[in-house]
Amino acid sequence: MSTDKDNDWVRLISADGYSFLVRRHVACRSGTLKNMLSMESSFSEAVSNTCTMKDERGAVVERLCEYLQFKAIYDNGSLKKEELPDFTERLAPEVALELLMAADYYEC
Amino acid sequence: MAAAARRGIKPKIKPPRKLGPEFSAEDTWAKLSRNIVEIQNHNAANLSYEENHRFAYNMVLYKHGETLYKGTCQLIANHLDKLASEEIIPVFPAGSSDDPVQRSQAGETLLKALRKVWDDHISSLSKLRDVLAYMDRVYTKTANVPEIWDAGLQLFVKHIIKPPIEDHVISAALTQIQTERDGYVINRSAVKGCVDVLLQLHDPHDDSTIYKRDLEPAVLRESEMFYKLEGERLLETCDAPEFLRRIEERFTQEDSRVHHFLSSSTAAPLRRIMEENLISPHLSTIISMPNSGLDVMIDLDKFDDLSRLYSLFIMVPAGLPSLKKALRETIVRRGKDINASGDIADAEDMPEEEFEANRAKGKAKARPTNTGSQTLQLALKWVQDVLDLKDKFDQLWSRSFRSDRELESSMNEAFETFINLNEKSPEFISLSIDDNLKRGLKGKSDAEMDTILDKTITVFRYVTDKDVFERYYKGHLAKRLLLGRSVSDDAERGMLAKLKVECGYQFTQKLEGMFHDMKISADTMQAYRAHLAKTTAPDVEISVTVMTSTFWPMSHSAATCTFPEMLIKASKSFEQFYLSRHSGRRLTWQPSLGNADVRVSFNSRKHDLNVSTFALVILLLFEDMPDGEFLTYEEIKAATSIPDGELQRNLQSLACAKYKVLKKHPPGRDVNPTDSFSFNADFSAPLQKIKISTIASRVENNDERKETKDRIDEERRHQTEACIVRIMKDRKHMTHNDLINEVTRQLASRFQPDPLNIKKRIEGLIDREYLERCPDRKSYNYLA
Repeated sequence: MSTDKDNDWVRLISADGYSFLVRRHVACRSGTLKNMLSMESSFSEAVSNTCTMKDERGAVVERLCEYLQFKAIYDNGSLKKEELPDFTERLAPEVALELLMAADYYEC
Repeated sequence: MAAAARRGIKPKIKPPRKLGPEFSAEDTWAKLSRNIVEIQNHNAANLSYEENHRFAYNMVLYKHGETLYKGTCQLIANHLDKLASEEIIPVFPAGSSDDPVQRSQAGETLLKALRKVWDDHISSLSKLRDVLAYMDRVYTKTANVPEIWDAGLQLFVKHIIKPPIEDHVISAALTQIQTERDGYVINRSAVKGCVDVLLQLHDPHDDSTIYKRDLEPAVLRESEMFYKLEGERLLETCDAPEFLRRIEERFTQEDSRVHHFLSSSTAAPLRRIMEENLISPHLSTIISMPNSGLDVMIDLDKFDDLSRLYSLFIMVPAGLPSLKKALRETIVRRGKDINASGDIADAEDMPEEEFEANRAKGKAKARPTNTGSQTLQLALKWVQDVLDLKDKFDQLWSRSFRSDRELESSMNEAFETFINLNEKSPEFISLSIDDNLKRGLKGKSDAEMDTILDKTITVFRYVTDKDVFERYYKGHLAKRLLLGRSVSDDAERGMLAKLKVECGYQFTQKLEGMFHDMKISADTMQAYRAHLAKTTAPDVEISVTVMTSTFWPMSHSAATCTFPEMLIKASKSFEQFYLSRHSGRRLTWQPSLGNADVRVSFNSRKHDLNVSTFALVILLLFEDMPDGEFLTYEEIKAATSIPDGELQRNLQSLACAKYKVLKKHPPGRDVNPTDSFSFNADFSAPLQKIKISTIASRVENNDERKETKDRIDEERRHQTEACIVRIMKDRKHMTHNDLINEVTRQLASRFQPDPLNIKKRIEGLIDREYLERCPDRKSYNYLA
């Protein structure tokens, strides 16, 4: 049951209208998204399985999703720190600051 | 920036989009607070989490965290006050109603209301926590205030758990518990809901939960009062088993209560209260309750009640000791009763002869007049009673007292006490073994026999004067062996092995010597018969048992007699044979221990009589006499030179018992020196073989007992001296106390030596210059 729930898809919509589908358990790697989608509190986002990220551009949301996916794959203690692939390569300087803000906001 | 350098392009970093001057803390808070109220009103589904989270985020980001935090707390407080006045205040129990059902229902409603408010509060609080996550993460840390969740709980304590609400809640919970104790059904989940709430809340000043702070003490106080009264009430209205049953029920009830709707932390103190009020003060009352206390339960074999008593008693520290004491007392009392029933017979010690005569008939069943046989029966009964008592308590111990080791040892102590109170117990035990080995074991399997003997051994184990037992056992064993009365040799050896295990090699050494003698004698007799086959045999066929005098107990009381010619011939023939095989030995004849088969012709028919050797000697005097001639007692005595006691005994069994081979003049039951006897030629009996007079085991009379006691005392003196010398030879020098202790320890396996006697022995040894007193007057030297 819980694995089904973890495996279903949630929609993240960026401010400029891009829509990203990610697995729920991936999205929940972000504390803020997790709270947003929490069934217990059942805010409108949780009811519709859709999170509108109205302050972030599509490019930023895309990186965010990539990072959450990266975290979901590697952040489980199976690899040592030096064995982890380098994520910083993927960070374009153009979006770095915006990403920094988003990371703080979304708690990831 | 390794990545950037590799690409070789100067990266252009775009600044993040700034919030314009359009941000206004007041506006944001106004919107957010409106939404918080919405959340509290269960309308979260209509709200966007993202939006509210952003409000909170922005407020914290633009340094309005404090406004946000305080405002939120205020909203929570307002909401709680509203809930209290809407949900809880209206359901306060209206005054004191006398109907327990009504009261309990009112209480239940209140508890449910509290739970409802709590659930409501927690649900909105958790949403707020989600929304204000950023505030918790950033603001609370720097401002050093509790996170919003904890703040919410504290607000609950402050606004709900306060007088008068709390008082009402606690008294409602107590009412529920009391209602259940009174035997009514309550809604346990309502109480549990409330208890759970109190368990999750903490006192703002220290770390203890509200439950621990307020509810638990109240529950305990209430319980103490209740159980104090309950204990006294039950004691007045119930008998002991019922009382125990009720108490046990109370314990189970409270256990389930604690388990189902109180905190497990309450279990221990609550239990202690129950133990202190229901059990501890009533221990001795329960045990000694007239007509239903411990004694009665034991009498009636109430295993369940007793095991209940045990399990309740071991809960309290004073329980086991008082149970031990009571058990000891009851066992000793029962034991004394058994002893007392044995003592009645002591008063009527009677002539042995009559008893002998009775045994002569080969019947175990005694005539009512035959008190001697009764004494034997009493001895057997005593052992059987002790065994039964032991069985009873063993069963009790394993079935009701969970084989408690401490109880076992005090039970053993009690058995030891009363068994040793009866100074005849070693004799009785030996008699019982004798009886079993002689007839009791006939037709029983080896295993059954073994259990019977094992049981007797358990009684034997309690006896401190093992040497007294040894003396009796030796006597009984000798008689069994000589008269061939033992049922089975295996059983005898089995018994011997058991005694060896109990008391060691030394104890059984002589007994084994007796067995050995029997075997050697059998071999000797075979050789003798072979020898006779080659030479001329004497007229009388004899069978001889050669006994090593130190092994056998009877060599001392050597009653002799003048053998008639034919017996002298026979005995001389054996003597010659024996001394030719073993030179340098001395043979002494013990006619008092032998018996003989003799064929006698009466008027009607011939009978084979089995008589003692003495009786044979007497009978032979009449062999050549004409019918109707008399021999006076004195004449018989002069002719046979049998000592008076033996003579009287044998004459009595020949002339006064069931088979009257001789006629006594005048007739009567007792033999007097003035009587005279004649051969009873008219004697007739249905049986061809008749057994007359056997030396049967029996309880000693007072004189014999005194003699036995003297002999034992003498033996003890020797043993004590030997022991002292043995120790001193080893140690050379020893203080008085050490010596006494060591001697006591070494002799304990045989008897309980009296220090005074040891001291006398030491003095004796000093006189004989085995030891010398050291100048310090407290220790001794061994003189080689």
